[in-house]
Amino acid sequence: MVSQSELIREAKENGMDLLPIERDTYELFFGPQHMATENYSIILKMDGNRVAKAIANPGFLHRGFEKLAEYRPWHTNIALLLRVCVPEPDVPEVIYSMAVEEILGWEIPDRAQWIRTTVLEMARVSAYLFWTMGMAFKLGVYTAGQWAAAYRERFMALFEQLTGARVYHIYTIPGGVRRDIPNDAWLRKLQDTVEYIKSKLKDFDEILFENYIAHRRLEGVGVMDKKFALSEGVTGPNLRATGVPYDVRRVDPYLLYPELDFEVPVLRDGDALARVLVRRYELEQDLYILEQLLDMGPPSGPYKVDDPRMKNLPRFKVPEGDAFAHVESTKGDFGAYVVSDGKNKPYRLQLRGPSISHGIRVIEQLLVGARIADVPVILVSLDNCPPDIDR
Amino acid sequence: MTDYEALVSTITEKAPYAEGKVRRERRIEFRIPSDRIRDFLKLLKDNDFELLLQITAVDWPDRGEIELVYQVFSITHRTHTFVRTAIPRDSAVVPTVMDIYSAAETYERDAHEFFQVVFEGNPKLEMPWILEEEDKEAGLSYRKDFDMLGYVKRKYKILDRFDEDKDTYVI
Repeated sequence: MVSQSELIREAKENGMDLLPIERDTYELFFGPQHMATENYSIILKMDGNRVAKAIANPGFLHRGFEKLAEYRPWHTNIALLLRVCVPEPDVPEVIYSMAVEEILGWEIPDRAQWIRTTVLEMARVSAYLFWTMGMAFKLGVYTAGQWAAAYRERFMALFEQLTGARVYHIYTIPGGVRRDIPNDAWLRKLQDTVEYIKSKLKDFDEILFENYIAHRRLEGVGVMDKKFALSEGVTGPNLRATGVPYDVRRVDPYLLYPELDFEVPVLRDGDALARVLVRRYELEQDLYILEQLLDMGPPSGPYKVDDPRMKNLPRFKVPEGDAFAHVESTKGDFGAYVVSDGKNKPYRLQLRGPSISHGIRVIEQLLVGARIADVPVILVSLDNCPPDIDR
Repeated sequence: MTDYEALVSTITEKAPYAEGKVRRERRIEFRIPSDRIRDFLKLLKDNDFELLLQITAVDWPDRGEIELVYQVFSITHRTHTFVRTAIPRDSAVVPTVMDIYSAAETYERDAHEFFQVVFEGNPKLEMPWILEEEDKEAGLSYRKDFDMLGYVKRKYKILDRFDEDKDTYVI
């Protein structure tokens, strides 16, 4: 085999002009097996180290939940829908229940409202800890990632005591919740966990959120502005990082949120650093909300509605009508649109996953021009949950 | 505190073809003819309805139509809006709104793939998305008349009781 230098020498001896070699773009399949993409695939057209074009390629997790739900009685759909987003499974349960209750015209008891609000906030904190783990791993701060995973485990244990399951809770049902709080010891344990994690936030700040290297990796990466984000339907912390104070708990309040005191953190830069910091402040606010809920204490009374229809769940019927309910999840605005034709199954159900906006069109535009090492960082800073898109 | 009645009448004055009503606090609804969908969503966007949250298609075979529900949220007015329009099932064609709300592109692809609604002017409809080619050929659809059991049997080759002459399954 002739080496390249020999070829060049030979060409020069024969008086040939040497033309500069044209750099070709090449395709790089990023995911679904890549750790950073989590069952999600992006086809990158690379120019050297830079992304020239990105094509989102979802569909690896599609299980047709919306169609399946049309074949199952109202209550059994809970066990299906919570599988939409694993880190935060309580959100689909609650929105589906809220939409069904709106069609039925039910007001759920105070105790169930308190329990649902607490469960949603616990889910938010544990989802943020899960996300912190992902972000820390992508930035190479493995210690912070392992702490976050360990602290999340405390919430898993609390969920297990409350619902009987660690990850897939199947706890909220139309009309209230499936069972009551186990005992007062559970409330004390929750209080201890909240205090413990709050005391650990400064450690996270020191090694992750105020880390000089992390800031250099995140600053000015994947920038989007307010107008673009609104038009693309981006919600949640990603929208708040561009300067829009949109939080469903404030603009369309539900459950006990009108009575609670909390701030909606807003930053203006719209880059990966702003998105990371918004989530860091939100984590603190969520712990503060949990403290307030524990101070209030669960109101006495029943934990689900007293209605004869609740006695025979397989034949449970919902009158004709439709409703849309949405809540603020850690990924953004998570909504469910439910249509009933008066039978014991939903006529149509559509979930509005928050990741569908920033997981397809936005990611395709934000990745252009990014270096290959920044691709996982941008992905995790957007907090993309692939099953939200595929459903 | 937003006056929802006033908000609905402000919009229906500018768009006399729309029937508006207040559903409850923070929820309003408009019913419009399908050929005015672009005008109406443009009007909504100009009236501070910033976020298009979703486009839902609902199949009603008895009425022979597919209903499209555009769900738009206004951060300024703190109001969720249902914009309903019905299109015939046999020729489900409606103009795209992706130049008004760019988020619509994804939801339109979703409704196209699962309900075979054609959004005229959306360049991404022909691109492969969630479904594979073989699924598309089988007509996998969220429409109500889709034979899901038959599809599952064909896909996973459970053909023992398939009557090829009649092209049906004996169960």
